[in-house]
Amino acid sequence: MNINMLFFRLKRLPLASLIFPSISIFLIYMIFFANNVSILGIDQSAIKNHKWAHEIEGTWYFPFSSKFKMPKYSYKKKSNWLSNDFVEDIIPEGHIAHYDLNKLHSTKDAMKLKEHVLIATPMQTFHDAYWSNLLKMSYPRSLLELGFIIPRTPTGDETLKKLEAAVKNVQTGKVEDRFAKITILRQDSQSFDKLGEKERHSLAVQKERRSAMALARNELLFSSIGPSTSWVLWLDADIVETPATVIQDMTNHNKPVLAANVYQRFFDKEKNENSIRPYDFNNWAESEKGLEIAKNMNEDEIIVEGYAEIATYRPLMAHFYDKAGKIDALMALDGVGGGCTLVKAEVHRDGAMFPNFPFYHLIETEGFAKMAKRLNYEIFGLPNYLVYHIEE
Amino acid sequence: MKYNKKVSHVVSSNLVSVIGSLFTALVVLKFLISNSLISLPSLLKFVQLNPSHSYVPDFRDTPNVEFYDLRNYKGNKDGWQRNDRIVFCVPLRDAAQHLPRFFDHLDKMSYPHNLIDLSFLVSDSSDDTMGVLLSNLQTAQSQRDKSKRFGNIEIYEKDFGQVIGQSFSDRHGFAGQGPRRKLMARARNWLGSVALKPYHSWVYWRDVDIETAPRTIMEDLMHHDKDIIVPNVWRPLPDWLGNIQPYDLNSWQESEGGLQLANQLNEDAVIVEGYPEYATWRPHLAYMRDPNGDPEVEMELDGIGGVSILSKANVFRSGSHFPAFSFEKHAETEAFGKLSRRMGYNVIGLPHYVVWHIYEPSTEDLKHMEWMAEEETRRIEEEKLREFYNKVWDLGFDDVREEWSFEKDSILKNIDNNEAVNNKLANENEWYENTLEEKNKLLELQKEKSREAAKKKAREEFKNKEKANAERSLNGNKEMKDSLNKGKTENKKESTEKKQDNTNKNMNNEQNPKQEEKGQPGENTNKDAPKQKEAKQNVPADFDPQKQ
Repeated sequence: MNINMLFFRLKRLPLASLIFPSISIFLIYMIFFANNVSILGIDQSAIKNHKWAHEIEGTWYFPFSSKFKMPKYSYKKKSNWLSNDFVEDIIPEGHIAHYDLNKLHSTKDAMKLKEHVLIATPMQTFHDAYWSNLLKMSYPRSLLELGFIIPRTPTGDETLKKLEAAVKNVQTGKVEDRFAKITILRQDSQSFDKLGEKERHSLAVQKERRSAMALARNELLFSSIGPSTSWVLWLDADIVETPATVIQDMTNHNKPVLAANVYQRFFDKEKNENSIRPYDFNNWAESEKGLEIAKNMNEDEIIVEGYAEIATYRPLMAHFYDKAGKIDALMALDGVGGGCTLVKAEVHRDGAMFPNFPFYHLIETEGFAKMAKRLNYEIFGLPNYLVYHIEE
Repeated sequence: MKYNKKVSHVVSSNLVSVIGSLFTALVVLKFLISNSLISLPSLLKFVQLNPSHSYVPDFRDTPNVEFYDLRNYKGNKDGWQRNDRIVFCVPLRDAAQHLPRFFDHLDKMSYPHNLIDLSFLVSDSSDDTMGVLLSNLQTAQSQRDKSKRFGNIEIYEKDFGQVIGQSFSDRHGFAGQGPRRKLMARARNWLGSVALKPYHSWVYWRDVDIETAPRTIMEDLMHHDKDIIVPNVWRPLPDWLGNIQPYDLNSWQESEGGLQLANQLNEDAVIVEGYPEYATWRPHLAYMRDPNGDPEVEMELDGIGGVSILSKANVFRSGSHFPAFSFEKHAETEAFGKLSRRMGYNVIGLPHYVVWHIYEPSTEDLKHMEWMAEEETRRIEEEKLREFYNKVWDLGFDDVREEWSFEKDSILKNIDNNEAVNNKLANENEWYENTLEEKNKLLELQKEKSREAAKKKAREEFKNKEKANAERSLNGNKEMKDSLNKGKTENKKESTEKKQDNTNKNMNNEQNPKQEEKGQPGENTNKDAPKQKEAKQNVPADFDPQKQ
């Protein structure tokens, strides 16, 4: 009897029209919806839950024979073929690098003694002015290391593309114009770019924003600081104008932590002229009032400068700018901002980082200043040394 | 009709095969899904074309530029299968003697060696730590089996100045703890800041002075998928100290007592665990150990010890470190635990998973060991002396105990009259026999003595006689012959000596008949004569005692 005949007979059978659909419905149900029922199993347990005897017992058969001992872990390689941008780093065989950190120094003659400076920049947006200002710096590029960290956002993608082009342009150019090393990181943790420019300065979001910023700074710092780095210059991506000799000028003071005064150029409509105004209020010296406020605060609260809600009456370096004053006038500080701050690498190496939690009610760069002080480092500011923030 | 029928046949046979293949496809799909070879989320991801995928620049041809997407270095729980690079941070200080053991441990590790980067910080070492380190590294990196070689190796040197010595008691004394911990924290941070590269997914802090650790320690710790994880650290002890002891008391959970204590101290104070000066009543990881416990059991911690810390690189990258200042009244590793928790990372200890620290004797222990050694030599010396004295006693004193046991009874019985009377009836016969025997013995002895004395006397007499004879022979041989003939030597002597004395002659005559009566002269004298001649030849041999 051939198959056609069988089919013909089945078709003739009135029941077949009932049986076939019902069987197929049942099967489909079994396959897709009855999750707990095994197809092959007979004991009502799903096959994916099946365990071999040794798995249940936690032993391996022939426990006394080493021949049958299985390795505890599998060493079969797994890789995600969907996003495989894993950088395979090639390390020379038998490579043993030897660094004597005793010879690492950070002195006032930084340029003469060929001390490496790392310029660290968390970068939300790429400003051409920032890059051109960076290129204008007169410190030898063979002693300059750059570090960037870019948030994981679509705008970050844009920033990265622009930065890539700029970097490629410099690094494939003349050898003497190339930077010693450029490290570009793509952030994975909380994006510090999450909050838009408008709400960026509202008090409520300060803690969250600066916490994210602190994380980004730390990630950048501890990834890019190398064994030869003597100084770290924290330069925000929106600082668009500094003196060309900014590194030489600031290292010349030979201070563990030194902040420049961040101002902003703007067009004063009232006076109808170009003018400048203070921008960064995070450079301050501690006040009695500030300490008192801190004392009465909850552990999780932070004090931020520049808000009417928290009047600390701290002397802010931004207000100490004196046009006629000496440019290298110093001012002792207790809190710093991240606009343009030069830090000896040893301060960071000793452990001073940017707290992403309230550290003595301070966070990020101000918390960093506090931590540096706890490590017995002094903090200074240059009230008359101006760098300029971009005007949005 | 025929045509239609054909068509229906074709259709129907197709239907069967379609249904059949659909069914197989469904079964296969179901099988795949149920075995999670392809999970639904991954399928969805595939369909959506990876929404989280972001722009990746290409810097391959650009010199001195590195790009890293930190997403790829977050640290997976199965890192050894996903090429997670791990950096070993090993602070070294006067560690030359421990390094060979450390490299032995490294060599046996089952984590793929090419994924392990080694970073050492050699500081303030007075021994040849650097030399030993280099030679060990050379041998490790020139192994024939290339899979046994490690990844990138970096050695850093930095001296921090020594606050205190490196001996066990110096390191673990109470007073030096605060400054010491801060200094060590600085050293660790310096190492961490240079060792950590963007491409590291895990960081492992490890002390070199570990006696034994499981080969799979990296996998064992890693598969828990925790931000920071530490095993329990114990150490073996000599028998006289009780075999084993918890070593690392820096791993603990915070307690009310600890918080209270922290509040009382000033800003720069450092609470150190395991010292009676700071009673914190904290639950320590070390004391939670059950030798038969499940090694997978986890315990939340606040402070941790630095013997063996596995942490995701992300923890250090985001700023957590070993505070070299008093952070919440703690420093170094303990403060690292606190700081990391503050930053929102989980800190886990494994109470039943143990690595063994080597045993280093403290100054107290050293003293005790010295004392023990002295005691041992003293004991041996004493043993020798005793042996010597025993010998001297044996030699210097006659052992009379046997004789005494023999004589005791009789002597005691003689002394103690009452006892003798009491025992008389019972022992009379025996006693009597004994005494008799004794008497006989004594008599015998006396006889022997007297005999001896007699012999002596006789000998002397004989000598005298001979002297006299010699004189006489000089005077006149005839007389001597006569006297010989007469037989009696003594008489002759006297007669010859007093020949001319007539008065004496009578006396002699009186004496003589007596003798003649007794001994029948003539024959006897003749018989005696040859005897005397013989006696002259060998004097004492045949002397007759009965003569007397």
